[in-house]
This record gives sequence, C-alpha cells and structure tokens, in this order.
Amino acid sequence: MSVIWVHEDAITLDHPVFQSGGPNARPVFIWDTKEHDRQAYSLKRRVFIYECAHDLDIPIYAGNPVEILSALSDGQPIYAAGSPDPYIQQALSDLQQDHTVIVVEAPRLAQIPADTDTGRFFRFWNRAKKSALTHSSETLTEVTQRS
Amino acid sequence: MPKLSSPQAITRLGVSDRQSLVDHVRDLSPGLSKSDLLVSDIEGGRAQAAERLAGLDPAKYGSTRNHLDGAVTRLSPYIRHGVTSVTDVRDRALDLSDTKSAGKFIQQLAWREYWQRLYEEFPKAIWQSVEPYKTGFTPDDYQDELPLDITEGRTGIACLDGFITELLTTGYLHNHARLYLAGYICHWRHVKWQAGAAWFLTHLLDGDPASNNLSWQWAASTFSHKPYYFNLENVARFSGDNVDTRIETNAPLAGTYEDLYARLFPNLGPKP
Repeated sequence: MSVIWVHEDAITLDHPVFQSGGPNARPVFIWDTKEHDRQAYSLKRRVFIYECAHDLDIPIYAGNPVEILSALSDGQPIYAAGSPDPYIQQALSDLQQDHTVIVVEAPRLAQIPADTDTGRFFRFWNRAKKSALTHSSETLTEVTQRS
Repeated sequence: MPKLSSPQAITRLGVSDRQSLVDHVRDLSPGLSKSDLLVSDIEGGRAQAAERLAGLDPAKYGSTRNHLDGAVTRLSPYIRHGVTSVTDVRDRALDLSDTKSAGKFIQQLAWREYWQRLYEEFPKAIWQSVEPYKTGFTPDDYQDELPLDITEGRTGIACLDGFITELLTTGYLHNHARLYLAGYICHWRHVKWQAGAAWFLTHLLDGDPASNNLSWQWAASTFSHKPYYFNLENVARFSGDNVDTRIETNAPLAGTYEDLYARLFPNLGPKP
C-alpha cells in the first residue's frame, strides 16, 4: 500500500498530495526525536507538533523517516508534500534510491515570473501582489477558462 | 540502509487530556533537559487553527498590527506546520474584507512566501550572512554565544525581560517584540545573529529557519541596507499597559535615535 508522509511542514489531511495519492494511500506521521534534539526544540515546541499530528488521527511512528517509510511502503510509491527543509529533502532523496517518491506542491500564494529579482522583499512584492491579492476561486476560474 | 521489518505505531489512542499527551512527549524525548518543563497555552490542532481563522479581522489587523496589543491573528504556528495553508488564510481574508482592507494582512503572508522561496533557492545557506554587516563592525566583533542573562530574561531591562519571559512561557512573540529583542542582541550586546536565531527556533512555536533567520539578518543588517535599532520611546508607543517602559527600569534603551546611533555604531559617524 502506498504511503503519504505527513511531515512537519504539512501536518494536514487537506493538501493536494492526498489527491495524488488517492483514497488508498495511507498517511503516516513520523516522530524523529533525534531530529528534534538536533534542532534543540524545547518541550513546548515538541508538544505543539505532537498535538497537531495527534489531532489528525493517523498512525504515528517513532524513528528515522527513511527507515520507517521504506518498511511501510512495501514497494509502493511514497508521497509527500513539497518542502524546502533540507532534512525533509534529504530523506526524500535517500528514499528515491530504492523507491518511487512523488512530491506534490501546494498552490503558491503568488505567481511571479521566473526572472523576478528576489534580492529584496519589495521587488518581489511588486511582481507578486496582483496574484497574491486574488482569491483562489478566481484563479481557478481563470485556469478553467484557459484550458 | 537498515530495514525495519514491521514498524509499530506509537500513537496512544485515548490520549484525551493534555497532561497525558505532554507526558507522552516527554517519554519520547529523553534528551530534553529535566528543567525544560514549560508548555504553551497555544494548543496544536485543526480546531484551534480554525478558531484563530474565525477571529481574523483583516482591516483591524492592518491598522493595529504594529502594536503589541493589536489585532494580530497568532495563526503563524499553524501556518508554519501546514495545519492551515497560506492560500486558505488569504482567501478567508478576502472573504471578510475588500482587497484594499486585506492588503496589509496579505502582504505579511507574502513575507513568509518570500522567505520560503529564498530558502528553496539557498537551502543550506540559511545560517550564513547574505551580505556583510553594515554596522561598522566585522563578524569577529560579535560573540558566538548568547549570554545567560538574555536566555534567562535577566538583562535588567524591564521591557525586554518581559518579552523574553513571554517567549519562554508561551512560545509566541508579537513580531515587533521579536525585532526589539533581535536589535538589542545584535547591536547593544554584539552577539552574532545566528545565536539569537537559534534561540528563537528553540522556543517559537512558529519558528521556521527561513522566516526566522532572514528576519534576524534583516535586523542585523546582513540582509538589509542598515541595522535595525529602536529606542524606549518606540517601545512605549507600540506597547500596551502590560509592558514596563519606565526610563528607570529600561535605561540602556533611552535616548534619541541620533544618540543611540552614535552609541551603538561609533564607527559609522553621525546618523545620516
């Protein structure tokens, strides 16, 4: 059975990765104490993260994500929400050596041209604000009309 | 890669009260210091995020957000961990207000997206200064470690000690209070921004390396044109009645901007 890694950048069941994984993909959360220690997270941070995961009522495993996801996936694809976090990216990269890994990105707040100068926020904002200030439903309508 | 034959879920079904959950997290975290006992009043979960979202008032946010008692949402811990998405929050703001009224709030969401894009582009450079300090000092002039009086909230500067206590007990600080602490740590105390950023990430429930570290760099001047500093008058202007901003208990922050500039950045000459 394929699995969806619900990692700490997307502790949710409402993400496009669930559409990609389909109804049979099993979401799991992995509690990695070593990573929390490495990040020096305080108790209150750990409690908040655990509460968010516990609230989803999905299995929580303790240990290394690569080892656990490898064992759970049983040769089926592993799905995950996209994240810039090097820890998550490294785990997904390690998994890709032996597994099919499908990373799914959430919609962005803003659509900007690829050549946008991101050296300072307001240069970014000037290119981003039109789409950032547009409701998702209007964006979806535009996409539908174009296709 | 080592293989696990059949991992066992650790989920404790039936953990319904908060103390049991906290005990469970403690059991899972043997590396935590025995003195780390504080748990925030801010609870994780979808219902809690929805409650915050229901209280959103984008227009009021726009007019009061810089005030420590302003109509901020405290949605950031939930956004940080993806419990709710920035697009859902944006859509809610636009449902409640017209584009003009919601603009300031959505611009703050865009700051997060901006930091995230930079993080994607330079994921391993998040702990390095983007640019040199523009303070008249070199990196070697800044110490590597945070002094204990800061991490324990005993600086002797009443308003800052109050903010530190709030950080340690709630895991949340208003953005303006974050900037005050960052400015103080970098420019009054000459501590490297990385030490302050790491300390915030230990405690802030919404701590993510992109927003946090790049904001620290903005205050430090390694990702901005000039260092961020402030004076007591500014703290008093943006604080509610709960913050002690008396001169006698906050003396190092008192003075005009010109005076403080000369004191904090003596190598730069008079304030431009």
